[in-house]
Amino acid sequence: MAKEKENKKFTTISIPTPLAEKIKKRIKGTGFTSLSSYVTYVLREVISGMDEEEEEVFSKEDEKRVKDRLRALGYID
Amino acid sequence: MNLDEDTNYIISGLERSGTSMLMQILRAGNIPISHDNSRPADESNLKGYYELAGGKIINKLMAGSFPLNEHRGKFVKITSFGLKYLPLGKYKIIYSERNIEEILDSMEKMIGEKDPSREDTKMSFLKLNNMIKEYAQDREDMDILFINYNNILSNPKENISKILKFLNVPNDLLDKMTETVDSKLYRQRRT
Repeated sequence: MAKEKENKKFTTISIPTPLAEKIKKRIKGTGFTSLSSYVTYVLREVISGMDEEEEEVFSKEDEKRVKDRLRALGYID
Repeated sequence: MNLDEDTNYIISGLERSGTSMLMQILRAGNIPISHDNSRPADESNLKGYYELAGGKIINKLMAGSFPLNEHRGKFVKITSFGLKYLPLGKYKIIYSERNIEEILDSMEKMIGEKDPSREDTKMSFLKLNNMIKEYAQDREDMDILFINYNNILSNPKENISKILKFLNVPNDLLDKMTETVDSKLYRQRRT
């Protein structure tokens, strides 16, 4: 998987320094080794939440269906 | 055998994808696992579930009340949907995948009735699986190894060796771990 991560192409964006410092503090001691990787993760989360019309995206309806099934199986209340 | 005390180790995958079998394999290899007896073995899982909180760990993760710090250095079973609720940390995840039709068959058997919306359920679980796999690969704090349930039954030694390599632990107990793979329990075979 590391190889897969390495193969991705990257570009540069700018964010305010105080925000960058806050994020650095937040990821300290976690498995995130850089500001970039954490910001990428957060942005992807935001974008995926906006793509709900796409057929392949895990929608609210899918989530309800999965939760109903998990409830029936005893995995959630 | 000790694992890194700063890391949360997780066995994951869709429900009925072979996560309990992976926990059994780890136990046979003296690899630390965290579980309680709140959900005892039954007809759906003859060798036990190896879960915490009666399998309702997802509820606790969603509420932010699951004490992950108490389980560092040990494997915990958290099925796919729960991975989305893991806070920032340091995780090593073994993720089990299985033929989706077998998963659905197994779910129906466990629930005790046919799913009237089986095709919709199938699409939703496939989308969940894809979304979680992508999500975990995007999180740098998650190191993930994919294991195929159907493949582990036909090639247990090769797959368990991959797990040991992923965990960076010796393979002295490889044979003992391999013995736990019991293809007689493979009751929803489709392939």
